Parts: sequence; structure tokens; C-alpha cells
Amino acid sequence: MPPRKTLRLSTPLAAGLLFAAAPAIAEPVVIGVPTWPSANVTAQIIAQAAASMGVEVELLPRGTMTLLADMAEGSADVHPELWFPNLAGALERLNERGSIVVGDHGVEARQNVCVTKATAEMTGIKAVADLADPQMAVSFDSDNDGKGEIWIGAPTWSSTEIEYIRARSYGYFRTMSLVELPEEIAMAAVDVAASFGSPMVFYCYAPHHVFDLHELVVLEEPAYDPERWNLIKRADDPYWLQKSRAETAWDVSHFHVAYAKRLEEDEPEFARFLSNMALEAADITAISYAFQVEHKPAAQVASEWIARNEDRLKEWMQ
Amino acid sequence: MTMTQGLARLAAGWRGAFASFAVGAAALASAVLFATSAGAQVFETQIFDPIKRQWVNYDPKQAMKYYQAHGQTPEDFRRQVVDFRTAEKPGTVIIDGNRHFLYLVLPGFKAMRYGIGIGREGFGWAGIVEVGRKAEWPTWTPPAEMVERDPNAAKWKDGMPGGPDNPLGARAMYLYENGHDTIFRIHGTSQPWSIGLNISSGCIRMVNDEITDLYDQVEIGAKVIVLLQGAALYKGV
Repeated sequence: MPPRKTLRLSTPLAAGLLFAAAPAIAEPVVIGVPTWPSANVTAQIIAQAAASMGVEVELLPRGTMTLLADMAEGSADVHPELWFPNLAGALERLNERGSIVVGDHGVEARQNVCVTKATAEMTGIKAVADLADPQMAVSFDSDNDGKGEIWIGAPTWSSTEIEYIRARSYGYFRTMSLVELPEEIAMAAVDVAASFGSPMVFYCYAPHHVFDLHELVVLEEPAYDPERWNLIKRADDPYWLQKSRAETAWDVSHFHVAYAKRLEEDEPEFARFLSNMALEAADITAISYAFQVEHKPAAQVASEWIARNEDRLKEWMQ
Repeated sequence: MTMTQGLARLAAGWRGAFASFAVGAAALASAVLFATSAGAQVFETQIFDPIKRQWVNYDPKQAMKYYQAHGQTPEDFRRQVVDFRTAEKPGTVIIDGNRHFLYLVLPGFKAMRYGIGIGREGFGWAGIVEVGRKAEWPTWTPPAEMVERDPNAAKWKDGMPGGPDNPLGARAMYLYENGHDTIFRIHGTSQPWSIGLNISSGCIRMVNDEITDLYDQVEIGAKVIVLLQGAALYKGV
């Protein structure tokens, strides 16, 4: 189990927003820290806001699915970035007792398959379905096995399982090797491909700093059609892949803050803050870029963002 | 479109009209410095011949011939500053075994790109490690299995002193993961013609001038990202 980090903060927020401190509870509030940049910083924003309200918190690095399961069993309290529809099914399954509350505000997000602009020009690829063409797929072949390679996400991401389903539905699981790797390695591969001019196709999501770093082309797909999406979880059925289908674009996604319902009683002021929290896509892009490209520590990015947005935070705490 | 046609199309956008690619299969077993495997597939490198305007194999024989004629490796394998937009910090090393390049991230969205040679089996894995130790003119100790099968190596079973004939060359950087030596090294070579190739000797080889240049710029603790090398390898991560 990754080490837990208890946060006792003296932050600009704590100094600038002197709200009446709630009495400390016996158990610290456990805030999950998923691996991707914006979730990491958002967890810090929440932690620093909590500290300003006198709430003791622990930061717990966790994969998104594991964090959701931890919340269901009561060992974690906050998920800073719960993606829908990716985790809708898991939430439904794990939240039968209603112990998890999803904040009302969702940040609009997109999930697609991207290539670098140079790749699009060199290969002529336009659509996700083009990857099912063996002659196109071989453009992305680096191991001479006749199949291309596509990065479909990190092993711990909920989207990765769905990308398997999409690859099968579109038919490119026959022509492409589906690569799961940590995001840092995949993004470095995009950097190299962009520098060298070699082809690269990969799962992409926005908001994300990669769109600021590189000229990317989002591959075309038929518009989302719920009638053509049917997702069975790998954990629920050994034949999940055969029984599932997702043969159009992703629905517009949203991500929300989620928190343990117990906070509404134990830490009502903090729960109200979480419920009201309304980050926008521009916030996510800015904090992601500052953390990942400008290399500022997540806590610093969070405190700088808070300093620029004190009025919004005050409003969320009302 | 054939493989060659596909790459030729890609070449149109390349500045140097030269490229290499290594193709590897199934070298999932942990690759060991200087280890070879009878079952391993031979990697191939091709380069684009701008005069003949076609892709040609770049094999050890041709590489040695080129080196003898020019006293150095082909131009694109020599160190050069390239545009490199990345989220990685300056000082980070990124290794692309497929195309035989190592990138040292520089400030201002630039990188120093060096040509590398790698082992016959490829690098064998992808991941994130760090430079745990550095050494000048390092001692080389052949692995036990090599001592058993190779009389030339056997005489150095207790360690070959550093020097121009030492296969680790002028400098070595030892790659660590979670504080432990991974047995992978970035090092110099006594066979500078072998840059750009996958041959049996060597983990990540660079010509001595270039490893010395890199060595001086890389600090202990530097992050090293080893990219995916062949789909069969990615799946093992």
C-alpha cells in the first residue's frame, strides 16, 4: 500500500481565508490522489481548502478504480476526478448503499484517438476506423509483425478497458497491438515521435497539456450513439470483451468530485464545499500544464491557483 | 502499402533523409549485458540512401565499412540538438531503442540527440529508472554465463580494468530502479562502428566522445525513460 501522507498545512489559503474552523474529527479525511496530473493537483486544492477549514486530511495515492472501491468500503473519502461514463457502471455497482455522493458540477471532457499532425499528413489517416485497414495499420508498426501499435491508456485507468472494447468494435484489434503503459512513458513516446517525425497514434483526453505541447489531430468517428454502446466490465464476466460493444465516439465525458456521504454529518462545511466545487476545463488545462510542463510541485500549483481564485473558493464554501 | 513503402512515405517529412528502425520480437526475457540468446530474432536496421533513394539494410558489415571510410558514424547518429517539446524536465534522458536514439532533454524545448547501439535482443523492457551511479573508465566484469562459454571473457572473470579495449568504453552510467541496480548501463564502446545496430555486445552503447559528453551533463538521480520497443515488449511491462 502506498504511504499515506497526512497534511497539516499552513497555506496562503489558510492565511487568506479565515473561516471558522470546524472541530477536528478523530479520523482524518482521506483524499485519493489518482495518477494523472489534473487529479493530482485537484486533490491538493481540496486538501488545502480542507486545511483552511480546520479539517485534517491524508493524501492517498490510488488508481481510480481502487480509490472508488476504497470509498465504497469506507477507507477513503474523496475522489478528486471521477470520470463519467467511464466509471458509471462501477459506481452503480459499488454504491448500492449510497455511501458515495457525486458533486453536481461536472467538467466537460473529451476522449478520443489522436495522431500528431505530421502523422496525419504522412499516412493520410483521418478516422479511427482507418486503423482497421491493415495497410494503414502497418504505418504504425515498429516491430515488423505486420501490426501497428496504439497506446490505449495506462493499466489502472477505467478508460483503458473501454478502449479494448472500442478496438474490437471498430475491428482494429486485429490490425493493431493494443499497448498499455504508464502515461509518462507514452507521452515521452509522443514527444519523440513529434521530434523525429515518426508516426504515433494514441488515446487522448482533453483537457490535457499534450494539446498545448504538440499539434494533434483528433481522428474522426461517428457521433456517440448510446444504442451502439454496451459495456460489460471485465470483472463481471469472463466474456466481457465478446459481449461488449462501443462502435461510435465516446459520449461527451464529464468528471466530478465525489465524496463520502459521511462527510455531510462529520464535516458539513467541507462537504458543502465539495458539493459546490465547480472547476472548469480552463482550470484543468492551467493546473495540468503548470504541474506537468512547468514542473511545479502539485502543492505549489494548488496554492497558486487558490491565490488566483479566492473569491470562487469563498463562494463554494458558502 | 508495404513496410518499405510506408517508411519511404514517412521519410519525406524527415529533415535528415536518414532514419533507422529496429524491429524486435519477443525478447521478453530479461536482457542481460552481453547476453545472447540462440532463440532471439535478429534485429534489423535500415537507413535511407539519399543517392539511391531507397531503404537499405544497415548491417554490421556495412556499418564497419562506413566507419572505416569516414572515421565516424553516419551523420544522423552523431550528437545534435533537435527540437523537442516535452513535459519532461531538462536533464531527463529518453531512450528510443527502436530508432537507436538517446535524447537528453535541454531547456527551451530542445534536446541533445545521440545515436546508440543496443543489444541483439533489444532493450527488453520499457519503464522509468534513474541514473544510480556513474563511473569513468569503468571496470568490466563479464557475467558468469559468458565466462563459461567464452575463453576470451573468462580471462577477465575477476574484472577487466578500464581502458580503450574495455567494452564499457570511457564512461558508464548505471541504471537503478527503486534504489537497486537494474544491471542495465549506458556506456561507451570499443566498437564505435556498432552505433545504430543491435549486436550481441552491449546494453546501450555510445561512442566514447558522446558518452563522455552525456556523462558530463547527466547527474546522479537523473530520470531515464526507456520507451516501448516493439509491441511484444510493451505487453511485458
